[in-house]
Amino acid sequence: MRSSPKRDIKFRLARRFDYESRSAALFILPVMSVLAIVAVFPILYSFYTSFFNLKLTRPHRVPFVWFDNYIKVLSDELFWASVSRTVSFTVMSVAAILVLSLSIAILLNESFRGRRLLSAIILIPWAIPTVANGLLWKWIYDSGFGALNGLLFQLGIIDSYITWLGDSDKTIPLISNSFVWKEVPLAAILILVTMKSIPEDLYRAAKVDGANVFKRFIHITIPSLKPGFMLVMIYETMMAIRHFDLFFLLTEGGPAEASHVVSWQIYVETFRNLSFGTGSAMSYILALVTFALAYFIIRTLGSKL
Amino acid sequence: MSNQFKNLNRRDFLKKTAAAGALGALGANGLITQAMAAGDTVHFMAWSAAVDLVKSHVAEFQKVTGINVNYSNAPWAQYRDNLITKFVGNAPIDMMWVSDAWLPEWAEAGWIKPVDKFDNLMKYNAEAEKFCNDSMTYKGSQYGLTYYTDFMAFLYDDEALKKAGISNPPKSWDEVTEQCLKIKNAGIAEYPLMLALAQESWLIEFLAAMTYSHGGNFTDDKGNSIMQDPKEGAVRALQWVVDAVHKHKIVSPASVEIGELTGLKAFASGNHAFALEPKYRMRTLNDPKQSKIAGRVKQALMPMGMDGSHATVGWMRFHGMSASAAADKTRAENTARLIEWFGGKANGEYKFQKYLFTDIGAGFGVKPLFNDADVQNAYNSYADVNIIKEQQALARKKDVVTPWFGEWNEVHGSSWQAAILQKATPAEAMAKAGKKWDELKKEMG
Repeated sequence: MRSSPKRDIKFRLARRFDYESRSAALFILPVMSVLAIVAVFPILYSFYTSFFNLKLTRPHRVPFVWFDNYIKVLSDELFWASVSRTVSFTVMSVAAILVLSLSIAILLNESFRGRRLLSAIILIPWAIPTVANGLLWKWIYDSGFGALNGLLFQLGIIDSYITWLGDSDKTIPLISNSFVWKEVPLAAILILVTMKSIPEDLYRAAKVDGANVFKRFIHITIPSLKPGFMLVMIYETMMAIRHFDLFFLLTEGGPAEASHVVSWQIYVETFRNLSFGTGSAMSYILALVTFALAYFIIRTLGSKL
Repeated sequence: MSNQFKNLNRRDFLKKTAAAGALGALGANGLITQAMAAGDTVHFMAWSAAVDLVKSHVAEFQKVTGINVNYSNAPWAQYRDNLITKFVGNAPIDMMWVSDAWLPEWAEAGWIKPVDKFDNLMKYNAEAEKFCNDSMTYKGSQYGLTYYTDFMAFLYDDEALKKAGISNPPKSWDEVTEQCLKIKNAGIAEYPLMLALAQESWLIEFLAAMTYSHGGNFTDDKGNSIMQDPKEGAVRALQWVVDAVHKHKIVSPASVEIGELTGLKAFASGNHAFALEPKYRMRTLNDPKQSKIAGRVKQALMPMGMDGSHATVGWMRFHGMSASAAADKTRAENTARLIEWFGGKANGEYKFQKYLFTDIGAGFGVKPLFNDADVQNAYNSYADVNIIKEQQALARKKDVVTPWFGEWNEVHGSSWQAAILQKATPAEAMAKAGKKWDELKKEMG
């Protein structure tokens, strides 16, 4: 008797996936379904959207435009100016985070009285919600009643109040400062964890060989920190490139276009202009750039660190 | 436990649950469809302002007419997005509050419909301010009735002027410069004029007021950009602001990061002698609980520029009708009755506009209310009703409200800021804004 094709497939599947695998698949199915609905579908749909001239306020005219949205974005001067500002923000933020977090990790790696208390205090900025952090810095930087002007004035460092966020030359560094303040604690903890995992024997052996503190730091600590450094660098680079909250809360892209970074441009295009086609295209360009940059860091710097 | 449940096996349980769910879904769907089709409920969407007042006015309407109203609201900051999402999703909305800035966009999208055919609404036009009717009109059709209206006012601290030996407020922008320098030199205020020029929704109102009073316009009668024109456009107004910041130092260079609310607080703290503020802020500024300069804030007509006038910008919010309501005769008629109840007369008087004014100080767009004794008493307790009336009559609709207004406005605001930060000359800044206008008009016009 010949078996039907349907039964054949069923039989082959049963042979390929045993009872355990099938049960496991069944158990993860609900989670995978939710993920497919809330993550995979929107990602694929926004990619599909990026090929249409979809403007929410023009619901009856949504032509398929092939790669026009991508061409439009890439030939826009404002977009490239935003890219340049995003790069500046990312470079200055990540560099500052790496230096500060390494310094803090070295400090916390030492044994001294009050170390635990200091560790807890250092973690506070990380624990503050992003919006609260933004509002906090908005008050600090305010040119009229801000704490920064008040402090500098009372210390006699300035004789009249300075314009902070309203000065386009200072805007990006000041936002970067707020970003660094929030991000350093997590980076410091990640580097500290890596530091703690360096075998003590290496330092003892180096001491026996006559290496001083500086040499031990350069030849043992720094190379051993490579995994932690890589993690922090990639994570913080991605966070900085995509960062939006502080730009929204502190300056709304201004003054003029001083803090008009790529994430801000995506927001304006998508949610203010309601141009979902162009906004999706920009998002995909940003995602690709972020991915490429992470890959570049791993392939080049990763091997040298 | 009954036998019925004891004998229920897993398969039966699943079957029955699925059947119950399906029945429930069908029932709910049926009820929703029925409710939407019935036409005896008016779905009214607004932003969350004067909520209690709206609720009580709705309750009175229901009592008088027997028409049921489903009122809901959303915060102003999310209102436009919220409503657009509802329109796109075909959510039931019949009447909604609309900002004049959104009218062309929503009308072009086919989400709102004109109300010209309702005589019970059109009859109020004769008593409304011209700029109000203009602001509710797009391509020759009127889309609603006034919810509230206001204009940009020129305010001054009378005591600061007297201290500097100034007896009368300025009549022209040149006089503003002179008086500011006098006040600055007397050490009364470092930056005598407060301008809030941060990139936010208020910015266009400040810039339009400056431009109109300087005798400029953004567009001509055909909607072509003239903002970049040195004589007829906005260049002179922008040049005045740039000079005020850098040459005369009478306006703070931080003005580009000062929003309307922060500016209001700074003025209320006594840090400035002059300010451009929405007129309704006078109530706050002359309230001793909220202002250090209470009782000292007065309004002057908007100063004139060279070839300018005392013109200012006016804006308005109105009660509009959705396309879905307009498509159904009964729903449209019920919605028009609710629009009239709010924007026109209720029981023979402009009740809602009057309540709004007396409760929260929001301006009204109908002239007869200026003669109302309660309104006059309220106004005169913190302002001069005659100046308000005179300035309101000189208020003009923004000539840039088009389907591409939002996109242009981003570039326009940034251009003014760039000039103030001396990253561009006023001519370059306005040329950029004009170029953007032309591009968008070509694309969407």
